[in-house]
Amino acid sequence: MGQLVNSDNRMPGADKEADLTERIEAFLADLKRGGCGTGPIRGSGETARETTALLRKVTAQARWSSAGDLMEIIRKEGRRMTAAQPSETTVGNMVLRVLKIIREEYARSRGSSEETDQQESLHKLLTSGGLSEENFRQHFVHLKANVIEAINELLTELDGTTDNIAMQALEHIHSNEVIMTVGRSRTVEAFLKDAARKRKFHVIVAECAPFCQGHEMATNLSKASIETTVIADAAIFAVMSRVNKVIIGTQTVLANGGLRAVNGTHTVALAARHHSTPLIVCAPMFKLSPQFPNEEDTFHKFVSPHEVLPFTEGEILSKVNVHCPVFDYVPPELITLFISNIGGNAPSYIYRLMSELYHPEDHDL
Amino acid sequence: PHPSTGGGGIAPLTEQEEEEQPLQAVLVADSFNRRFFPISKDQPRALLPLGNVAMIDYTLEFLTSTGVQETFVFCCWMSNKIKDHLLKSKWCRPTSPNVVHIITSDLYRSLGDVLRDVDAKNLVRNDFILVYGDVVSNIDVSQALQEHRHRRKVDKNISVMTMVFKESSPGHKSRCEEDDVIVAMDSKSKRVLHYQKTQGLKKLQFPMNIFQHGSDEFEIRHDLLDCHISICSPQVAELFTDNFDYQTRNDFVRGILVNEEILGNQIHLYVTQDGYGARVSNLQMYDSVSSDMVRRWVYPLTPEANFTDQQGQGCTHSRHNVYRGAEVSLGHGSQMEENVLIGRDTSIGANCHISNSVIGNNCTIGDNVVLDRAHMWNNVHISSNVEIHQSVVCDGAVVKEAVHLNKQCVLAYNVVIGPNLSLPDGTVVSMHHPEEEEEDDDDEFLSDDQEVGHSKDKTRQKAFNPAEVGPEGKGYIWKASMNDTEDEELAQCLWGLVLNPDPESDSESEASEESQDRSRSVSPEIDDVNAFQLEVLGTLQRGLEENIVCDNLVLEINSLKYAYNITLKEVMQILTRVVLEYPFQQQGTQLTTLQYTGSLLPLLKTWSPVFKNYIKRAQDHLDCLSAVEELFLEQDTHQTAMVKVLMKMYQLEILEEEAILKWFSTGATNDKSRQLRKNQGKQRMSLQRKESEEDESSEEGE
Repeated sequence: MGQLVNSDNRMPGADKEADLTERIEAFLADLKRGGCGTGPIRGSGETARETTALLRKVTAQARWSSAGDLMEIIRKEGRRMTAAQPSETTVGNMVLRVLKIIREEYARSRGSSEETDQQESLHKLLTSGGLSEENFRQHFVHLKANVIEAINELLTELDGTTDNIAMQALEHIHSNEVIMTVGRSRTVEAFLKDAARKRKFHVIVAECAPFCQGHEMATNLSKASIETTVIADAAIFAVMSRVNKVIIGTQTVLANGGLRAVNGTHTVALAARHHSTPLIVCAPMFKLSPQFPNEEDTFHKFVSPHEVLPFTEGEILSKVNVHCPVFDYVPPELITLFISNIGGNAPSYIYRLMSELYHPEDHDL
Repeated sequence: PHPSTGGGGIAPLTEQEEEEQPLQAVLVADSFNRRFFPISKDQPRALLPLGNVAMIDYTLEFLTSTGVQETFVFCCWMSNKIKDHLLKSKWCRPTSPNVVHIITSDLYRSLGDVLRDVDAKNLVRNDFILVYGDVVSNIDVSQALQEHRHRRKVDKNISVMTMVFKESSPGHKSRCEEDDVIVAMDSKSKRVLHYQKTQGLKKLQFPMNIFQHGSDEFEIRHDLLDCHISICSPQVAELFTDNFDYQTRNDFVRGILVNEEILGNQIHLYVTQDGYGARVSNLQMYDSVSSDMVRRWVYPLTPEANFTDQQGQGCTHSRHNVYRGAEVSLGHGSQMEENVLIGRDTSIGANCHISNSVIGNNCTIGDNVVLDRAHMWNNVHISSNVEIHQSVVCDGAVVKEAVHLNKQCVLAYNVVIGPNLSLPDGTVVSMHHPEEEEEDDDDEFLSDDQEVGHSKDKTRQKAFNPAEVGPEGKGYIWKASMNDTEDEELAQCLWGLVLNPDPESDSESEASEESQDRSRSVSPEIDDVNAFQLEVLGTLQRGLEENIVCDNLVLEINSLKYAYNITLKEVMQILTRVVLEYPFQQQGTQLTTLQYTGSLLPLLKTWSPVFKNYIKRAQDHLDCLSAVEELFLEQDTHQTAMVKVLMKMYQLEILEEEAILKWFSTGATNDKSRQLRKNQGKQRMSLQRKESEEDESSEEGE
């Protein structure tokens, strides 16, 4: 921030910066208040787009002379954004993507190709550190324009993710299949609707208590004239024997290929494993996070226990402890396939995608 | 430092413009009572930490998150501290979406004063949210706001206020007994028809007219928790100006309801089921709000969210609601069981058991310490082998070896306790000597003899009592040296009314019964009647002590009558009651009947001119008699004294013979109904006996 505020006192610049800080603050406040129980108000796709747009604004308006400065600024803002709502990993992912873009553009401006430098071999790892911070000091006239251009491309990519995933639906859903899903995911919804244009199939939605987003999902699906049944979470195992495929969404795809998904997903995944039902996860690339599941503190998110035991209950509340976690961890071995906007992948391949998306030096902001 | 958004002249607004007006809020950062004394002697209540964050920050965050763009913070007590705090906080940064204006004055004495000032300065231009600086809430009031605006549009500004309530059934620990309300409302329009604080009353009465209001559905609710959040129209400020006797919101609500037909103003309520909202009005509430916060009821205002954006305030949240700040060290074998919040740089020794507690920043805690429901603020030092249960330990306090704090103790700022001491339940220790406080506060409670005694106190003021605070202790027991009932009540109220099933509520119920029995039509003015009764008692007492002439007493009572807006009839009833209760008041309720009459009869003689002044018409006599009757019905052990009292009053020519006889004939039927209710056979006997004696006496008189 210091960079932004102290740099200049010419009026128009100062104005712009004030505007920028205000927008960042508003975004942070939004993130902090986001998700009062029923999950974030906007989808994670929107959060990703907003983050990227904001970072583009930072790139365009902040004062920086070299890629190193810019990366420092982006890192600083990124740290604040991720700290504001640690459970919202897409924000951090987008920051990493932008950092990677800056690295690439810088490397391109220098004439060397960043991609070729990135071959992961033990030898390269040992001798790397060649392109470290002090080397980003060189000034290029077109860097700013190039970075912004690249961020714009990223934004276009983000805009198309849901459609790209939905397009693959026909390859996975066949006629007269019984599909199970859990809770509400915008991606899965689009996926199923897309398949429903050509095929007839039956969707069973687990309601996903206590927030019961499943109800909303079922309503939306039945509006698209898909045969839909809502079941209680307790019935998941019983119904699983009839199910041909489980298609779920997720909040985050972790670095090991596991999921951090809405509560109840683990139950579904275990039941599917028991019945050897394939479990397909629809997850756009921006949900891929370099986080591992052992990082305890930010992994869980506990919201107000109101949904579990209403505040109106009275006396009993002083005698019991009520917790209301939002997420489940689903280990990678329960997952059959990931469908992302760039195609289908096995969980074991996630690490590879990760190294393509993010620069290893950026994993810790 | 803020661009003031041009107050002053308000042009008539078109509706379009009205929509675009920024949402404003009035935050009253003063409680106007001394509930938190002696803690709030050093720090205003709004700045007391709750979960290591000042309470006012919760309120401001609540306002900001509901979309308030301009907040006026009114401070009175220790306004400089509040101002400093706010200027340093994120609310006063230029990027804050909520522009905070701080308005300080030492002249505010009540909420009424603040709102009158709001009106005088023309601060609000549109509907605004009114909250206290100690409200913790995550309720989204935009829904309520919408309803409020809609009502005002439809009904031509009839609705002046929407109160926000939270549903919570009785027995909930976050319900404050003082704020227990019973509300009668129209279920369709959500209009408040009757609003009354229950104050522990067993019997409640509702005016008939609320049932005849012609609405089909009607609810009487006791499952509401007052969040002390109200959405007010600008008229509210004007109404406070017009009615200079409104002091609290309670006065206002009552006033509006009573005068509804005349002024045509209505009050509505908004009941929310989700969301959390409570006001920290005493330590009991502090305890429960703090524990609710740690248990994440106020999500997203949780400790780890660090919504105040302060450097280094962040903490981590792990299982069983254990929160740890940065640089916390925990000794070997220590356990943080559940619902524990530990601030940064705090170190905890070995083998400690901590549960349901909040510990501030920079605290040191020794070995083998047991903390349960303890609230420790910043820089507290706890030595080894200490046990603390449900207590508050303020900034800088030191607890030495092997001290045992029982429930509901309070160690105020910089107090030192111990070693080897056990403080009994409800002990309050402060560095302020109770009497020193009386002195520099120059308020009306100050009585003469205390001032005389003060010079003596000064000499012993420096010495701390080792029996009270331990051999190395520093501090004075706050409550012990209080002999004034008024102050004792206040000190106890630190923890709320739970501790003391207060004597106040009894008298209150009587008062309300009394007023209700007579005048069924009006909703109860309990407070006024009660206050008036106390004033009359005081006047008579002083009259007796200083030998004031009865004419002057009459003069004083008359002026009180106007001050409290009491009818002549009530004056007489209250006067009768006060006089008859006077012996009990002075000598306790354990008097025998003989003692009672012995002390009462001379009093009657002294004050007979006062009575004669008020009892003139025949109806007055009857009213007076019924007051007498009622009192003796309550004091049923002293019923035999009634005969003597009536006799004396007759002899003093306060009461006329016909009146007594007439009362007897009508009163008997009245009594029968009472007897039926109370199943008391004795009453009739005494009445009959009285009759015969009365007949005799009247004959004698003739």
